[in-house]
Amino acid sequence: MRVLVKMVRLLGIGFSMSLRRTLAFRVDLHFDVMMSGISLASTLAAVLIIFGRTDHLGGWTRPEMFVLVGTFELLTGVKAAFVDPNLSLLANRGIREGRLDHHLLAPAPGLFLATLGTAAPLSCIHVLLGLGVVGVGVGMTGRAPEPVAVAVWLLLLLLGTAATWAVGTLIGCIAFWAPKLDLQSIYGTAWQFGRYPPDIYARPLRFLLSYVLPLMLVAAFPAAALLRSPDWTTVAAAAATATTAVLAALAAWRAGLRRYVGATS
Amino acid sequence: MTRRLRRLVLLRIRNQFLDWSGAWWFTVTLVASEAVGPLLGLVVWSAVLPGDPAVAGYFVALVAVQLLTASYENHTFSEAIYEGKISHDLLRPQPVIVAPIGENVAIRIWLGIFGLPLTLVTALAVGVSYDWTALAAAVPVLVGAAVLRFLWTWLLALAAFWTGRVHALVTLGGMMVFLLGGGAAPVWQLPDAWQPVVGALPFYAMLGLPADVATGSVHGSALAVAYLVQLAWSAAFAGVAVVAWRAGVRRFTAVGA
Repeated sequence: MRVLVKMVRLLGIGFSMSLRRTLAFRVDLHFDVMMSGISLASTLAAVLIIFGRTDHLGGWTRPEMFVLVGTFELLTGVKAAFVDPNLSLLANRGIREGRLDHHLLAPAPGLFLATLGTAAPLSCIHVLLGLGVVGVGVGMTGRAPEPVAVAVWLLLLLLGTAATWAVGTLIGCIAFWAPKLDLQSIYGTAWQFGRYPPDIYARPLRFLLSYVLPLMLVAAFPAAALLRSPDWTTVAAAAATATTAVLAALAAWRAGLRRYVGATS
Repeated sequence: MTRRLRRLVLLRIRNQFLDWSGAWWFTVTLVASEAVGPLLGLVVWSAVLPGDPAVAGYFVALVAVQLLTASYENHTFSEAIYEGKISHDLLRPQPVIVAPIGENVAIRIWLGIFGLPLTLVTALAVGVSYDWTALAAAVPVLVGAAVLRFLWTWLLALAAFWTGRVHALVTLGGMMVFLLGGGAAPVWQLPDAWQPVVGALPFYAMLGLPADVATGSVHGSALAVAYLVQLAWSAAFAGVAVVAWRAGVRRFTAVGA
């Protein structure tokens, strides 16, 4: 428990330092806020165009799609704020250039420093915008979600965050064995599949996106839990998938470290 | 002069083509990131309009258009401005534009080598076929779209002379192409009032138009008008880019880069 508290404090300190660095450039801040707004507006415009031609997409109505897009935006913000800035450096600078030494020699856990040590606070704008869109979507449905549904939505978001971090870490750890293989950008590309309802995909792809590269855990499962009565089988499957992904990431990190050689570069 | 310029561009393309031959894995990641948008469009719009062959044909053609018109001048040319390396090109007895053109074409050739088989497999998987005359008519429109997309991206990339946020600016430009150019939805699926406006914007001429010509939905006099629209926007972007380049290069300073 003490270790967990220590890590949360470290995460807070890293975030605070990154935030201060970011706020020093005010024009960039305003530009990024504007860009996030335009990006979300473009996604919502695409949804509105689709619903100009149909009433349902993969079994989801327009308000439900708003909740799905909002939830996706929220998790995208979390990923962009905490996961991407670290994992984009892990394979390149950390493993290939041997700079992982700095993290390994520090008193804090190496995995924590390498995968959560820094942050991109401006990306949290996506989280706020996502929450706003979820609120609008829920409002459009005309019925308030039950407290249990909100709790399950939050739980699934937490599991989605854990799975996102774990899959990113697993992909980053591949660099221990194949330094030139950059799969992070493929992961970033595949991430877009999480924006849409699972039922529009063919069955094998749906299974792949649910349990192998758990992108349905990011938005579709939490949004469905918020809008409909929670499906406990899905919650259990999500928990199992996220736990497996985290354990696999920890195992890959330990196995990869045994192969790692650096010379305090 | 024109022959010399053509030779310089061809040499640059060859040079860059060979340079990129060692980065095959990176090229595969580029192909994946360019193809995912149209492929998602195919899945989504096939769910909206199941069994409509026009939708499948459009989005499969769009995969090829997206790959063959992709532009990365914010990563190549803008980075050279930030690092002060365009001073090398400014000192050479050749126009600076030769290098971005050469690299752009070389990257597109590699994207085509890896990406066109993917397009073919997708076409076979969803069972779409094209009329050969429509495909032949799409070739000049595709070349026009490639030129227009390059000019648009290069114009945005020139903003690197004034701002450090050129990547965000080019991303914004890409979003406009996606939303208004036929990436989010075919232009003929937009509300009726939007269609003529969106059709006259440069973004449709960069992306959706070649796909529409390949599927045969734009032909005859509409095709002639489309050629003219493409030509007019290309001339406009080229003119603005020349003005921006002259203003930008006056601001440029580098020491021993």
